[in-house]
Parts: sequence; structure tokens; C-alpha cells
Amino acid sequence: MLLLPLGGDRSRAVKDPRGVLSDFGITLPKDTEVRVWDSTAETRFIVLPMRPAGTEGWSEEKLADLVTRDSMIGTGMPLNPGEVK
Amino acid sequence: MDGVHDMGGMDGFGKVEVEQNEPPFHARWEGRVLAMQRAMGYAGAWHIDHSRFAQEKLPPLIYLGASYYQRWELAMESNVTERGFATPEELKAGHAATPGKALPRKLTLDVVGAGLCRSSFYRQQQGPQKFKPGDRVRTKNIHPKTHTRLPRYARDKVGVVELCHGCHMYPDSVAKDEGDNPQWLYTVVFDSHELWGPDADPTLKVSIDAFEPYLEKV
Repeated sequence: MLLLPLGGDRSRAVKDPRGVLSDFGITLPKDTEVRVWDSTAETRFIVLPMRPAGTEGWSEEKLADLVTRDSMIGTGMPLNPGEVK
Repeated sequence: MDGVHDMGGMDGFGKVEVEQNEPPFHARWEGRVLAMQRAMGYAGAWHIDHSRFAQEKLPPLIYLGASYYQRWELAMESNVTERGFATPEELKAGHAATPGKALPRKLTLDVVGAGLCRSSFYRQQQGPQKFKPGDRVRTKNIHPKTHTRLPRYARDKVGVVELCHGCHMYPDSVAKDEGDNPQWLYTVVFDSHELWGPDADPTLKVSIDAFEPYLEKV
């Protein structure tokens, strides 16, 4: 899920979300289903970053180290286990 | 209104410029604009839909040339003057010339925490819920001259109701100062081909949150 104010350079997000995501350096597999939630009322959404592989059995605190700002707004993936000390 | 703000699906704006380590504000005045907006919201001076409508009414070249917080500020100027809280002359002078119109309440330091909390948009229902998840619906082909939250790209399109969010205050009425006029609110999902034609990304689905008056049975 991508959380962006829609305007100007983000206006094509509802038509070409893969293109917008690639501007952020994210390339999704061709068969990944993409769902755009255009927030046109006052309902609000939260993003749960996808759990990276190799984190089975990790504690909440340890998993929190993988979470980045970008992964919370859908413009990036969380860190992989190898990217934290 | 069919203005330049309603740009969902438009091409030609170029790549998204990603800023690394983006700060909350790029200048001190941006933080002040956010604070003023929250203070006027808490004061009950106008509603969020009035802010949106005021932005939509900005001349197109101004709208397109303004940054996010500049648009907020320009909309605030419109609402302050149109609603009689200050005159254009006072804004220009930078100080009040007459005692201002009274506000229902004021955001003071002791209540600033509560003042920053989002208020609820839920309202008591006025009638039975017309649609349920799974129903096929068509969005209406409407072009009001006033504020609406049905984007142009999603008008006269067939989709499926996915969720019902209960009754919410209705922006189209609020922006016209016609009261909350609560309406049922649904998430409606569209297939990419319905919105963007045969060449659309087949893996894409798009949903909007649609108020019941935007929808009709298929």
C-alpha cells in the first residue's frame, strides 16, 4: 500500500501505480496484484510492512529494527535481516 | 467542481522527485500554517471540506504553482475573509482594524493536545443502508459546480461494494454550509479495465470511498 497525497507527480498513481512505485525504486513482480486505495473520504489507513524472509521467531523489538519510515508509508520495503547489526 | 485539483490519472507531471531524509517542514512558516489550520479547526471556524473547496476554487495557475502548505494558507485566507473573521485589508496590514468575529472556542496551550486530535466523522444514520458488500453499483455521472469527493476518473463506472463504513457527514453538503447531512459510506472497487480501458494494467484494482448519493444500483 502506498500512502501519498495525490497531486502533480503522484496523479498517475491511480492509473499506473507500478510506474510511481518505480520512481521510489520499487519494482514489483509482474504477477503481484496491485490495489490502490484512493482515500476520498475521512477513513484513514495504516500500512503493515511485509515481514521479510528469515525472521521467523524474531521478537517484536528485533522486528521493529527492520521497520523504516518508507516501509510505513508504502514507498519502501522493510530492511532485510542482513541489513541490521 | 471539475477543477485542476481533480487530477487522478493525469499524465505529464514527470517523475516523482524522492527527497532523502525529508524534514517535517521545509521552512518555519510551513509549521506555522499547520498550527494555524489546526487552531482554526479546533475553533470551529470552518470544516475540512471548506478548506478543500477553497483550495479547489483557487485560480488554476495559482493552484498548480503553489506548494502543499501554500495552498493550505491561501485557502485559509479565503475562509477567513469570506466568513467575516478578517478583512483583506487587515490581512494585508498584518493586524486587526476592528475586534474580530467571536469564535466558538479557542485553541490555547492547555488544550493543544486535544486540539490536535482528529474529530469523528461518524454521524447518526438518517435512513436504511441501500447497498451491502458484494453488490454491483454504478457511480453517477455528476458534475456539481460545488465540492464533491467523487473523482472524475471514477464517474459513470461499474464497481463492486467491498465495505460499508457506516454513516459519515457528507462533504458535498458540508462544503455548501448545508449541514452534516449524514450518508452511508462504502469502499467500492473497480477493475482497472473499467477505469482505464483495454490497455490497463491487468493486475490493478482501484477503490474509492463513495458516499451513497454517488451510487446507483446496476
